[in-house]
Amino acid sequence: MLKLLAAGLIASAAIVGTAGIAAADPVTITFRFNDTEQEVRGAIDEFQKQNPDIKVELQRIGWKDARNQFLREAAVGQGPDVAHVAQVWVTEMGDAGATLALDDFLQKDPPPNGFADFAAQDLAHGKDGKIYGLPWTTDTWAMVYRTDLLKEAGIDSLPTTWEDMRKDSEAVYKKTGKAGFGFPAGSSASGAMWFLANFYWWSEGKALIVQKQDGSYALGLEPADVVAAMNYYKQYMDGGDNPQSNLAASDAHDPAIMQALVSGNQAMGAMPPNTYKEILKAYADANPGKEPPFASGPFPHQPDTKSSMIGGRMLVINANTKHPDEAWKFVKYMASQGVFANFYRTQFPAQNSLLKQIDFGAPLKGFAEQFPFARTWGAYASGPVPIGTLWNATQRAFGKALSGQVSTEDAAKELLAEIGKQMP
Amino acid sequence: MRDRLFITTMLLPSMVLLVLFYGYPIFDNLRISFTDLSLLGMKKGGNWVGLANYRELFHSGEFNHILFNTFIWLTATSVVLRLLFGLGIALLLNTRAMRVLRLAAVSRFALLIPWATPPIVAVVIWRFLLERNGFVNDALIGLGLISQPIAFLADIRTVWPSIVLIMLWNTVPLIALSLLSSLQTVPEEYYEAAELDGATSWQTFRFVTLPFLMPAILVLGLMSVFWSFNNFVYVWLATGAGPGTFTNVLATEVYLKAFVDFRLGYSSAIGMVMAVVMGAFGILYLRLVAQRQLEETL
Amino acid sequence: MAATGSRHWRDPGAWRLIVILLFAVVTLFVLVYPAIYVLVGSFRPGGGLLSSTETLTFRNYLRIFQAGFGRFIFNSLVICVVATAVSTALSIMAAYAFSRFEFRFKRTLFTAILFGQVFPWIVLINPLFVAFATLNLINSYVGMILTYTAFTIPFSVYMLVGYLVTVPKSLDEAAIIDGASRWQVIWMIICPVMLPGFVATATYAFLLCWTEYLFALAFLTQTELKTLPLGLYQYFGDDYVDWGAVMAASVVTTLPVFLLFLPIQGRISPGRVAGAVK
Repeated sequence: MLKLLAAGLIASAAIVGTAGIAAADPVTITFRFNDTEQEVRGAIDEFQKQNPDIKVELQRIGWKDARNQFLREAAVGQGPDVAHVAQVWVTEMGDAGATLALDDFLQKDPPPNGFADFAAQDLAHGKDGKIYGLPWTTDTWAMVYRTDLLKEAGIDSLPTTWEDMRKDSEAVYKKTGKAGFGFPAGSSASGAMWFLANFYWWSEGKALIVQKQDGSYALGLEPADVVAAMNYYKQYMDGGDNPQSNLAASDAHDPAIMQALVSGNQAMGAMPPNTYKEILKAYADANPGKEPPFASGPFPHQPDTKSSMIGGRMLVINANTKHPDEAWKFVKYMASQGVFANFYRTQFPAQNSLLKQIDFGAPLKGFAEQFPFARTWGAYASGPVPIGTLWNATQRAFGKALSGQVSTEDAAKELLAEIGKQMP
Repeated sequence: MRDRLFITTMLLPSMVLLVLFYGYPIFDNLRISFTDLSLLGMKKGGNWVGLANYRELFHSGEFNHILFNTFIWLTATSVVLRLLFGLGIALLLNTRAMRVLRLAAVSRFALLIPWATPPIVAVVIWRFLLERNGFVNDALIGLGLISQPIAFLADIRTVWPSIVLIMLWNTVPLIALSLLSSLQTVPEEYYEAAELDGATSWQTFRFVTLPFLMPAILVLGLMSVFWSFNNFVYVWLATGAGPGTFTNVLATEVYLKAFVDFRLGYSSAIGMVMAVVMGAFGILYLRLVAQRQLEETL
Repeated sequence: MAATGSRHWRDPGAWRLIVILLFAVVTLFVLVYPAIYVLVGSFRPGGGLLSSTETLTFRNYLRIFQAGFGRFIFNSLVICVVATAVSTALSIMAAYAFSRFEFRFKRTLFTAILFGQVFPWIVLINPLFVAFATLNLINSYVGMILTYTAFTIPFSVYMLVGYLVTVPKSLDEAAIIDGASRWQVIWMIICPVMLPGFVATATYAFLLCWTEYLFALAFLTQTELKTLPLGLYQYFGDDYVDWGAVMAASVVTTLPVFLLFLPIQGRISPGRVAGAVK
């Protein structure tokens, strides 16, 4: 009897012991998140609390280098388990074998509202049709305005056509001496003219790269279209309502431009929501108690065309990961409603159901209005020429045209020739 | 024999490191420059394309412009000015007057500041100082020299001088401090002897000071040429090689081709061409200018 | 010849003083003003760039240290100090050999060291990265130290040879006749005399490591191993730049350099050098 008891005790001790050991061995996964840590710290802590057997190590690399770094690392078997990437990188990363295909996970352990609820799905597929990333956040660009400067210039409603925008900008400059539409006209490789040019083309129903019915890709623009866009923006430079010094600025968040908006030296700007929030914050810091005289509005468009991009980020799983299941668990968690509602408040979620639940607030209304009229990069990302190349070439061409280095006709021809060269 | 062993021991560690860190990547780059390797295809490797990359490089319309920018503006102008200013400051700091004014120590401290500033911070600061409502424009307008603010980094007439200015701010201290060290090794008796012989300041400089400084100046000059020619950060951070492609230099072209277009093979070819150009320059330099120095010293 | 008199031959006159003062002030201003701009900006919200408020705040510094900046300081210090020490030591050794001896391949080796510099660094990253990954040197102090040592040696050797040739070989030979070994010659005779030169070389090497970004970015991806330049660059975000943090980080990156080199700079006294060579 005693022997039996002893054996039973030892056996149960053994079982409890091994179970205890198995439970106590935490798996550590690395998560590379490229914005500031505090945005996701709460979410990560909560995840670790809910999953005591998974530890998440946070890493960070600036966006400018994130892509090259990840590609390099993935090629030699290194890199974080889960990475925060731009949505337009996912297709090429999947094709390069750097990220894990998520189809199995989506089938066996799908996110609560299903994959169909996610925006920008087209960009998550690789050329082989498999899904290589989970859309995570989304944002778009819109126009922002200093309502006080507009009023001073006698304008009482936000412009809705491209011509009106130019007229308003000119009016502000002539009547108040302050800059009108101060956009970054610089030509650095990942600058803002790329966006402004494309928004102009899209609003006319055209695009630089299009995918034809038969699946092949082609240039969707004639030289005249490019010239039109260049001439449009050049008006601002020639008229002086976009100061010449903005030829040296390439980013929407260029400090000189932001300062001009904060201090009331510029009436109109174009930017993503985070930049806008920074401006609002800086204004509030400098003018405590005053109501910020800002409003936002969508880029001009027609009822059936788009005029801004759906940008965003996705989460990918490294193809070299040793812990795919834990990585997927984490990815699914980070895309859940709870995280966006309670912890990660600085970005908009990339799921339609969640987007509907957000209240944007009055100054950001323009962005809410822009979303339905925004499109993903689509054919640009899935086409044969890397977006980075298209971006760089367009920046340079516009830079040359806007600075007067070459005529708009020549710049337009050059741009289309250069891109055409790289198309099959 | 004893000497042989000693020499080997002294040289070996450095040589080993250099072979590993320079030799190996250079050969690897040479290999890659004959392929069409892309950053996206690193796992698979690239296909052999022979001299195609090089041919494309030399036939590209931009090549001459980029070469001009790199040679004349980025390298020649900045190095010559760097040496002149460095020499000037070193001489200034070495004068007795500075010691009398008790500014010598403060100045040496002040020189450390620009030198210790990381290039990106230097560029950011100067971009602000050169803004349309920045300090430089305010000062120039205040002094009545100009009436309209100048867009220094956007106007093609002023963009290169502005970039050179930033480079000078960041690199002159090194030259100045190095030359100052050399200046301080000049024995006092030489100056006294020169004065006794009735030499003017200029003659003293030319026949006493300069010979002492020559080795250092030649060294610093050559090294500065190498660094400047290969430099990437200043142009990239200040103008992104713009406006348009106006300030594109070889190193920014390498960056654009490697990390924006992902064409590692092509960018390696550019890198090799840069190395060959600098190698040729170095050889010419040593032959014409420094040969005698080298022979004397070595 | 009056060697010590109160009337030194180089006593400057009043005009000379004024001219020199003028030059000095202008030079100092150009050198220092940008740094003051950053220093002040680091105490302003938004770096003083987005708005012209006059408020002063410590928030920027709090922010960067809460984000772990202290760790970056430590990493940079360890890597750069060790790399500088190793690099300077190895360079002194090599430079001594070059300046004192004749041997086969001397010209070739010397030129090879010099010409190693003709290569643009960006192109060297990928092959080294692949090699490091295979050798498990990614995310390691050792990897970074080796890298920085290797990249500071060429210029250090060249600089040191330039300095060492000003010390006559006769000094060495005299000591050797007196029974000193080569090592003792280096340690007891060369080092004291050449201290200014060594310090200058070490300063150069240290600053090169301290502000280096390209290789650190590629080889250090774990946050707790990052160096100061990486920490600084992180604040250049995609949608906006945290200018206050950038300025504070710039100050923090530059400050330790002074603390390290100020005491040493004072040790460079010309008199010592002249006397020893005599």
